[in-house]
Amino acid sequence: MDPISTVGDAIATARPAYDDLTALAEDVEDEWSYVNDLATAWLERMAAVSDARGHEPAPAGVAAAVTALAVEVRLLDDPHRAIDWLSTFPQVLLIALGERP
Amino acid sequence: MRFQDASPDARAVVYAGIQADPLVARAAGLLADATQDQRILARAVMNGISTDPAVWQAMFPSLFGPDAPSEGPDRARSEAILAASIQVADRGEQVRSQVRGALVETVTELLVRRRPGLASAAATRIRRERRILFDGVRAEIHPYDLTIETPGAAEAIDCKWGARGISADVLFQLDDARTHAADEDEVLTATIVVFDAERSCTVRLDRQTAPHDGTRLISLETLDRLAGR
Repeated sequence: MDPISTVGDAIATARPAYDDLTALAEDVEDEWSYVNDLATAWLERMAAVSDARGHEPAPAGVAAAVTALAVEVRLLDDPHRAIDWLSTFPQVLLIALGERP
Repeated sequence: MRFQDASPDARAVVYAGIQADPLVARAAGLLADATQDQRILARAVMNGISTDPAVWQAMFPSLFGPDAPSEGPDRARSEAILAASIQVADRGEQVRSQVRGALVETVTELLVRRRPGLASAAATRIRRERRILFDGVRAEIHPYDLTIETPGAAEAIDCKWGARGISADVLFQLDDARTHAADEDEVLTATIVVFDAERSCTVRLDRQTAPHDGTRLISLETLDRLAGR
């Protein structure tokens, strides 16, 4: 994992874990469209933060937060719980970055 | 329009036990006074796998990081919310799910009871698990999680842990209550409370064809509006 020094680094580092989470959640076939709409909505929000503040230094503790968040969601093996985390993950990331979800 | 206790079926009896769990009351009391970051902490931990507090402390630098207060009431509340949330997460998956549902209902009730003007007569006006009956309309199977039975300012509230809980059935039931009340020249506000981000709720609602324009959404960001704040 690359070191996290900026807000943009934090979002880019978190992205693969979020993509894995989306792939796991897609296993709930009845919710496939919702899962993708949900992921798209949150990815747009994360991209907007990266565009606006990407070059700013990451706030204190963010590197450890992103690592802990990625490790936590990779413990999941239940696609239904993954759907819950598709919403929770970006909220946790964004408040670590000092943003409102 | 009139309100009626729901008949206590087997599900209701089991669920009443969950609602009466002291952990639910303790966590709800903490979350009623919590900040948005603290509420997101509770949501994450109660959805999570890890039960090691250090994992969650690392994940929430705004609450536990080097720039967060190391003591004082906010820090104490963060610690207490973390401990209570881990206790919820430590339950089996089915119980955890029921506890989370009961928790949202209890937080909602606590906040509604803070509304100016309701506090004095709150015990009789704010009720759980009630049906709403209208002349000539078949009663709904599922009771409302919370009703505010104030004449002229009634409210039916359903509570959900996550945006995925927003379903056509719930939206139809809330909208039906509102429109049937209007048919009887009564005012009834239909509200859905979701312990999840407004963005996720909006994505869910956008996919629903059930009527919901007349239903008020309270999300994790706007919970304090339940108290009239």
